[in-house]
Amino acid sequence: MIAEHEDRPWGELSDLPGHPMMWVLILTEVVTFGLFLLTFAVARAVQPSLFAAGQTQLDPLLGGMNTIVLITSGWLAALAVDASMKSRRIRARALLAGAMALGFVFVAVKIAEYVEKARVGIGLETDTFFTLYFLLTGFHLLHVLLGIVILALVAMHDSLDNLKTGTAFWHVVDLVWVVMYPLIYLIG
Amino acid sequence: MTISSARRITLTWLLLVVLTLFGLGAGHLGMDGLAVNGLVLAAAFAKGRWMLLDFLKLRGVPTGWRTLFLSWLAFVTIAPWLAAAISLLRG
Repeated sequence: MIAEHEDRPWGELSDLPGHPMMWVLILTEVVTFGLFLLTFAVARAVQPSLFAAGQTQLDPLLGGMNTIVLITSGWLAALAVDASMKSRRIRARALLAGAMALGFVFVAVKIAEYVEKARVGIGLETDTFFTLYFLLTGFHLLHVLLGIVILALVAMHDSLDNLKTGTAFWHVVDLVWVVMYPLIYLIG
Repeated sequence: MTISSARRITLTWLLLVVLTLFGLGAGHLGMDGLAVNGLVLAAAFAKGRWMLLDFLKLRGVPTGWRTLFLSWLAFVTIAPWLAAAISLLRG
């Protein structure tokens, strides 16, 4: 029993790839985003016409482009872990740099969307749809920025375990966007 | 025949792009209604599942963890569809 505890100090969390502490953060994040997404869905059910009108103000092409950008970034991050497992450090770092660059593309597109909304007078207090739109996408955007910092840190300290830890956070940020995109931009 | 890890990751990425383009196409053509919403959200679930299994590498972890994350994914994709359905039924 004691030996088992010493082998697996984090219990069941030790079964997950990367540092267990990152998975504590990830579990917290999925619960938080889950509640945010549920709030958005319920608010849409209560005010369907307001949400339908708000959705027409969004550009699904930009959202879709950003989805492909994040998916591709996640692909590069996953390939970086694969390269690290094969002891190809330079390739792994290059792939991580690509993943980070695409993260910046996502941020740039999102900021362009916000600027466009501000230009036509749409803001956080316009209505319930846009309050939730800015809160959800803004909170996610902060996670993208944090994810880029984490990817940069693990690129500098590029042990396999660090790469697994950093990319796990990045994939969860991608995953949240993959669900958020159709909810906000597509389904009506 | 076993598929290499890198090839599986790339295959997953291609599937994710195709499913994203499907959702984008449905939105761009102005398709709506419960059936289309269901298809778009089902595509989001499929994408999330592949990301969890092949990008996050949950394919090899104990079943309990996979079940937990896939249940979360099912919850956040089914709840919006149910909310939309309730909204339509209320007229």
